[in-house]
Amino acid sequence: MRLDNCKQISLTAVIMIGFVFSGPIALWAQTRDGEKEWAAVVEAANKEGKVVVAGSPDPVMRNDVIPKFTARFGIPVEFVAGRSSQIVARVETERASGIFSIDVFLAGPDTSANELYKDKMIDPLKPLLVMPEVADGTKWKTGKVWLADPQEQFIVRAFSSVATLLFINTEHVKPDEMRNMKDLLNPKWRGKISTEDPTTTGAGANKAARFYVQMGEEFVKTLYLDQKAVRTRDRRQMTDWLARGTQPICLDCREDDVRPLVKEGFKVLEIFEMAGAGPTINGSPWMLSYANKAPHPKAGQVFANWILSKEGLETYAKGYGSASLRTDVDESYLNPGNLPKKGVKYFDDTDWKWIVGGRHENRDKVWKLLKAR
Amino acid sequence: MSLAATSLPRSRRLHLRPIRLAELSFLLFLAVVMGLPLLFLLTGSFNLSAPGKPAVYGIDNWLRAFTDSGTLSALGMSFTLSVVRLIPAMILSVSFAWLIARTDMPGGKFIEAVCWIAYFVPDFPLVLAWILLLDPSFGFLNSVAKSLPGVDASLFNPYGFWGIVWVHTSTGGIWFKVMLLVPVFRRLGATLEEAARVAGANTAVMLWRITLPVLAPMILAVSVLSFIRGLQSFNTELLLGTPAGIYVYSTKIYDFLQREPRAYGEATALGSVFLLVLAVLLFFYWKFLSGGKKFTVVTGQGYSTLRVKLGKWRYVAFAGCLLYVAVTMLLPLTFLVIGSFMRRYGFFNIASPFTVNHWHNMLSDPIFLVALKNSLIIAGTTAAGGVLLYSALAYLLVSRRTVTAPLLESLCWIPHVLPGILLSLGVLWLFLATPLRFVLYGSVWGIAVALILADSPVTTQAFKAGLLQLGADLEEAARVSGASWRYTYRRVLLPLLAPIAAAVGLMNFGSALTSISTPVLLYSHDSRPLAILLLEYSFTGELERAAALGLLITAIIGVMMLIGRKLGLQLAGSE
Repeated sequence: MRLDNCKQISLTAVIMIGFVFSGPIALWAQTRDGEKEWAAVVEAANKEGKVVVAGSPDPVMRNDVIPKFTARFGIPVEFVAGRSSQIVARVETERASGIFSIDVFLAGPDTSANELYKDKMIDPLKPLLVMPEVADGTKWKTGKVWLADPQEQFIVRAFSSVATLLFINTEHVKPDEMRNMKDLLNPKWRGKISTEDPTTTGAGANKAARFYVQMGEEFVKTLYLDQKAVRTRDRRQMTDWLARGTQPICLDCREDDVRPLVKEGFKVLEIFEMAGAGPTINGSPWMLSYANKAPHPKAGQVFANWILSKEGLETYAKGYGSASLRTDVDESYLNPGNLPKKGVKYFDDTDWKWIVGGRHENRDKVWKLLKAR
Repeated sequence: MSLAATSLPRSRRLHLRPIRLAELSFLLFLAVVMGLPLLFLLTGSFNLSAPGKPAVYGIDNWLRAFTDSGTLSALGMSFTLSVVRLIPAMILSVSFAWLIARTDMPGGKFIEAVCWIAYFVPDFPLVLAWILLLDPSFGFLNSVAKSLPGVDASLFNPYGFWGIVWVHTSTGGIWFKVMLLVPVFRRLGATLEEAARVAGANTAVMLWRITLPVLAPMILAVSVLSFIRGLQSFNTELLLGTPAGIYVYSTKIYDFLQREPRAYGEATALGSVFLLVLAVLLFFYWKFLSGGKKFTVVTGQGYSTLRVKLGKWRYVAFAGCLLYVAVTMLLPLTFLVIGSFMRRYGFFNIASPFTVNHWHNMLSDPIFLVALKNSLIIAGTTAAGGVLLYSALAYLLVSRRTVTAPLLESLCWIPHVLPGILLSLGVLWLFLATPLRFVLYGSVWGIAVALILADSPVTTQAFKAGLLQLGADLEEAARVSGASWRYTYRRVLLPLLAPIAAAVGLMNFGSALTSISTPVLLYSHDSRPLAILLLEYSFTGELERAAALGLLITAIIGVMMLIGRKLGLQLAGSE
């Protein structure tokens, strides 16, 4: 009996020990497999010689991201930089002639959803994300890599920052004067608000569409028409107006343009939220996708994985000033206002349904409204 | 007397076969490289399907383009702006060209050199320089004006109709026209003017009755080129017009091109208006040229280029030119140079406002040296290729008035009426559809070929106007002396055309260095030129670095201008 008990206890102990260690062992084995797989991909990528990435010509990519990637893997990056519309036009024409030149796209949400995905120019990315620190769900705030498309296969969203509602020059506008959305309609600010032209595709129209949904038609009409919001198509012009106080309220200035102003000592304040409209988050600056028939498939895979790694995302997030979705990226350099707070309900400006439908519908309504006068 | 009858030497007609062959070759070449992209774009404008889907044809794109609110008012604004800008600019350009080339005004070469350099200063930072000078709130000139007694309000405002007109006059209003007009004014023999003087005409009458009518082909060609260029103008209107609610036609085309998904059909439909305008203008241009007029100014008989003596007025004329150049170019250019050394362009009140970092960063950027090398190869190839190709084409157009001449000339004009990005798309499609795509696509050679095509209207018209000035007796004399056609072309025609060749060659060199819309869809990582780098700096708001790069491009063109003009003048013998 004793012997039987001993056997039972021993068996139970073995099972328990096995149970306790099986997880880590499996994880270890899995990690080892993952590392092996990743090493094989990197080796194959090196043989391909280069990777071709298409994206916006921002200085972070040119000055920081590409040199770091090349230093890490020894793979040169050919960066095809340009406006999304130009890049897609080029790629479509190339493809019609049987040329496939791009490996990876870093494109805006509109281009990613309404062109690359819709026109089937990209392949599933999910199975290619094998770099251990990318595949590891614990490294992501969302518990796993956020694939934004309906099939959760093609387009990775790597950022989620609280979007700036507007900027003010506090030498001309006191923060207390901008508490409620209706404050923007104060006649005192007539001609003092600048906006990226809302009558054409771009950030200005996107924000106007959001205001249309959140605040209604009358608000949009009063803000853009009666308040004589000054329109421009040049982002630098808008930032300079803000700095000089010519138009001390800027609806569409970009964080990366305004940050140097703050460093220079200009009294510029970023406002994320005002009463009357809920806060907003977005996936700027880009969404990641992997071209189909990529000419350098392994190098493209390495780049796609690396840009989602701690080193890749941190480099980009730091340079651009966006909050990434990784848990291990240093966020101390960010404006705390950029970090989404738990329990707060945000309007997601990069939500799939909004990008492929709602934004366009509401933007058309805004155009109709603003062009009518 | 018809033009053909007056200016065609018999020798040109005798060599029918090679010329006929050349004509057919040109026709085929231009039909493929100019006509096909246009046909592709026009066909595409009726295709209603999404890219990659089976084509469905209809007129919806056209309807949408022309019923879009604001299209017609934008078209009206573009026409008004073009006309208002053209008239004073042409008067000033002809005056400048006449003073530089036909009178004893001192400093003519200096003024001409300034016109050349001014033309190639990139317009985007220059427009911003004008904003710094004229803005009602912080403009330097307004601040100066307000310090004067009795002036309380701002005197200047760049945002609006007249601001756009003024800034255009500064950034490109007359420089381009003077560059094209001076060589043909210089070619004008003094014999006719001397005869007019003997007949009792004063300088004004002589200018109005002799000089201008004889030079009409070039003046008209420059006017047509400038008018259509004015209709397509875009950047200045975007910066100065949008804040004032002024939208032009090109803005509407741009808007369609920026949409997602892109609306190339609508953009092409709107662009077709330029084709229509061009067709009307060319009809009148041809009608004028074939109306029994004679434009020959260089003959084998007593060619003299004596200049009109202005007496004491020559100093007044020089002072006037200098003042114009100083106000419209040197003033904003000074701000541009200063801006490239500022930590933030135009902000003088920040701590330590000046820095050399933008120049240092630009010159130490590894992409810069590659882009510089690419740009020099592209610009050199474009200049040489354009001169060779279009001098021959112009010779054909002038020497043979067959039924194909209007068609050839129409094909030459196509690049001038297509918005740059649409032309680029057409050329991209063309390259990819040919077996040469592996040589041309993404290479510096492909970009050079595209730029040579884009240069066809200006280059052909310049050579054509120059050839129209040459008398048939020059060739006939050479032939009678036993010279072959090839020898005559090389020793008689080419030296006489050298100043025009130098002018258009340099102009094409400069355009190739600064052109953005043509290479934007054609470059690759290895063939990225400086202009694309400039676009990237502007796109990301790195204005100071863009100003530095723009000035560097201008300096390169300045050096090439000195070398080229020296070469051109030496080829021509003496001035």
